[in-house]
Amino acid sequence: MSRTITRRSLLLALTGILAGSTRTSTGAAGKQNAQVIDIQVERFSFTPSEFRVKAGAPVEIRLRSDDTDHGFRILGTDINLTIPKRGKGVATVTFVPPSAGKYVFECSKLCGAGHGFMRGTLIAE
Amino acid sequence: MDFHFNKHELQDGRLDFHRFVLLITHRFSDRIRFVSELELEHALVEGLEEAGELELEQAYVDFLLSRRFNVRAGMLLMPVGIINERHEPPIYYGVERPFVDTVIIPTTWFEVGAGVHGEVGRGWRYRLFIASPLNAREFSAEEGLRGGRQKGADTNIGRPATTGRLEYVGIRGLTVGASFWTGRSGFEFRPRFEVPVNVGEADVRYSRDRLELRGQFAQVAISNAGDLNDAMGRAVGVDPNVASALRGFYGEAGYRVISGASYGDVGLFARYENFDTQFKMPSGYLPLREFDRDALVVGVTYWPDADIALKADYSAVRSKHSTIIAPNSFNIGLGWWF
Repeated sequence: MSRTITRRSLLLALTGILAGSTRTSTGAAGKQNAQVIDIQVERFSFTPSEFRVKAGAPVEIRLRSDDTDHGFRILGTDINLTIPKRGKGVATVTFVPPSAGKYVFECSKLCGAGHGFMRGTLIAE
Repeated sequence: MDFHFNKHELQDGRLDFHRFVLLITHRFSDRIRFVSELELEHALVEGLEEAGELELEQAYVDFLLSRRFNVRAGMLLMPVGIINERHEPPIYYGVERPFVDTVIIPTTWFEVGAGVHGEVGRGWRYRLFIASPLNAREFSAEEGLRGGRQKGADTNIGRPATTGRLEYVGIRGLTVGASFWTGRSGFEFRPRFEVPVNVGEADVRYSRDRLELRGQFAQVAISNAGDLNDAMGRAVGVDPNVASALRGFYGEAGYRVISGASYGDVGLFARYENFDTQFKMPSGYLPLREFDRDALVVGVTYWPDADIALKADYSAVRSKHSTIIAPNSFNIGLGWWF
């Protein structure tokens, strides 16, 4: 069961990454029954920086930058995408938390003096 | 990085490659990382000349333990005010940094130290560091604390300073923060005497779509400023007239009149500043009124790319002195980041 969920989450994540990095628009994989989280990104914060989702269910994360291009990486997963610069679109990724717990995300592209503060937490319940 | 053209009243224009910055980072693991920022100011560092400075503004290791609690040690930016931790040229209006962030809060303010930082609840962030204190021997009437930064160079750490910041970033587009710095800065004098220095600051930033608003208030208290002036007068023969309190504040509004165009964005801004490095004087001292100033800065920024800013502004500065006139200036700057 867990292996099935893991495989599914990886597949959805990969689809989301491709959608986010190429079209920087809504990832098709996350359309159906996905919880949607909109995150505003700027030097040097994600807003919101903490949110709750259902474990095992897809969550579509939409990221829009208010300044430079940032990165979005969920530690412990393969998700790592570029958020385009202000006015250049929205990066979207679909993630299925394989189990309940806290998933730390962070900016993965050096974005300035306070880059080190750009972290957040996805809580799967 | 950025370079500027500055034309002050009654003076020839100056062209200066003000800042060239290199950031280097390394990730040892998901929980341990290194961040550094090396800055060359004014393009040239040459022997004992004071034309430029090569500054290591950040070089720290972060131990990321949890969302709430992390440990940082090394060369740290003091978490005071809006600009000190957010000084990339494309993200603030104006060719030069605000006067308040120059003579009241001495940006870029960095020292060797260690401390903790983290985030609690929905958007409450904190940092709390101990670091090398300011050196009161370098304080001045015109620029306040600015000359007192030890900058991590073989610093005196007999009595570490403490600094911290609490900010709320839980509402989209809004940042509200308050900072403090407290330390004892008389360590260079013999016989030694205490010069306690306290800095308090509050700020707010709000941005939504094309609009950006900023406001900041900062005040500095220097205890024993009279003794400090006496000691410095004896040491160098000139009484520096350092104040016992400095105060500054500003409000700024910016609006992108063009946004999302294929050729980029254009924003207009206006900022009013009031800054007085002689706000309160120790007993027996009179304030130098030329350092009680205010300024109106208006200008335009063109972003052909989110990371490139071509700026122009006019800065009208007034002082309370009846005959010493603060010079107005016209400034052009090009700043970029990648």
